[in-house]
Amino acid sequence: MSLNIRLVVNGTRHRAKIEPSLSLLDFLRDTLGYKGAKICCNTGECGACTVLFNGKPVNSCVVLAADAAGAEIVTVEGLAEGGRLHPVQQAFIDTAAVQCGYCIPGFIISVKALLDRTKNPTPEEIEEAVSGNICRCTGYTKIIDAIQIAARQLQGSTGLTSKARS
Amino acid sequence: MDYFEPKTLREAVSLLARYGEKAKVIAGGTDVLVDMKFKEEPLCLVNIKRIPGMSYIREEKGSLRIGALTPIREIETSSVVRQKLPLLWESAHQFASLQIRNTATIGGNVCRASPSGETLAPLLVLEASAVARFSKGEKKLPFTELFLGPGKTLLGAKGLLREIEVPLPSKESRGAYLKHAVRGAMDIAMVGVAVLVTPDGGGKKARDVRIGLGAVAPTPIRAKRAEKALRGKAMARALVEEAARIAASESSPISDQRSSAEYRRWIVETLTRRGLEQSWRAVTGKEIDG
Repeated sequence: MSLNIRLVVNGTRHRAKIEPSLSLLDFLRDTLGYKGAKICCNTGECGACTVLFNGKPVNSCVVLAADAAGAEIVTVEGLAEGGRLHPVQQAFIDTAAVQCGYCIPGFIISVKALLDRTKNPTPEEIEEAVSGNICRCTGYTKIIDAIQIAARQLQGSTGLTSKARS
Repeated sequence: MDYFEPKTLREAVSLLARYGEKAKVIAGGTDVLVDMKFKEEPLCLVNIKRIPGMSYIREEKGSLRIGALTPIREIETSSVVRQKLPLLWESAHQFASLQIRNTATIGGNVCRASPSGETLAPLLVLEASAVARFSKGEKKLPFTELFLGPGKTLLGAKGLLREIEVPLPSKESRGAYLKHAVRGAMDIAMVGVAVLVTPDGGGKKARDVRIGLGAVAPTPIRAKRAEKALRGKAMARALVEEAARIAASESSPISDQRSSAEYRRWIVETLTRRGLEQSWRAVTGKEIDG
């Protein structure tokens, strides 16, 4: 048995025929080719597959693709505009908050969601926002730095990001 | 696998009547999808997510009514829950991760009936009821009777949870939900303890004490003997310590990869004592006397 769904991913409309048991993650990666969301634990524990579902961060590995019918999904591929990286992405590069990089798309999405709901996050809010994302390389310190820089950047003040770019 | 997206409760319940044990209900999916990947697919999946009007938090006649499809994050960010049911708020706040809280529903947490289900010990001490739809009509099932074992509730294969009704506790009451786990986020409780204390008029004695224990028995349980030891009594240190020991003896934990049964009993005693101390401090502004 299969069903037809329509949804929007990174601003692009898609229609597809899917199996009802398919996860949103497998659908994004294997059916539509958005490989930005990563498969890691595949049980909703590590956050590597985080995408925005109608603006909210979710673990796409434990969401039914069928539930995304009519929804708007944003993956890490959807953040750059006109070849220019999103300030959150740029801040992760500038602070070298990336080692192996596998968890980073999930972090970027969680941080994007955080900065969408709060312009000036407290340290507690930052920790909470990424507590569902596991990184086994960096020890989080540089990730926290990157988030603070991205927050300042989005507020319009000059941080390390703009300096590094000039 | 047969798959349905019923648009009404009636349609959903008639599917459950038809498929019985072969059907699996899916709401948020954060547990069911994992089982489907790593255990087995059900013969029939009934996705109730498209039934309209099942996600809400409403105050009505001294109770808060929470729709079964309400995401945990909605409960966490609800000002009325934070203000009137801080105990439930605390468990929603400590629930898994933000990503999971955006997806998982309170109905799913209840129907999953995991002994460690985060919201269950708080809902037990708040004396909540599950309002469930069966093909013959609706039933109100008190949480004190709802849970039969891990994954088993009075809903059986044919009942569908529609709403959780939580009577608002008395204004003077105060509570605490304490969870023992290694990490803050994404960790299943080794022990969860919910305490609710209501003082008498003079503020010396406890008119009512309720203690709920999670992850230390086949279902979440109330520590009835410990509650009885404190009810109507002046809250003295020795009595509170005794009640905490009784609560530990009422638990029947297992040993697993998270901790041994013996360790869990120690933690039940400690968290029960702390929960009583914190609640009493919040009620009276004072520490418990020696």
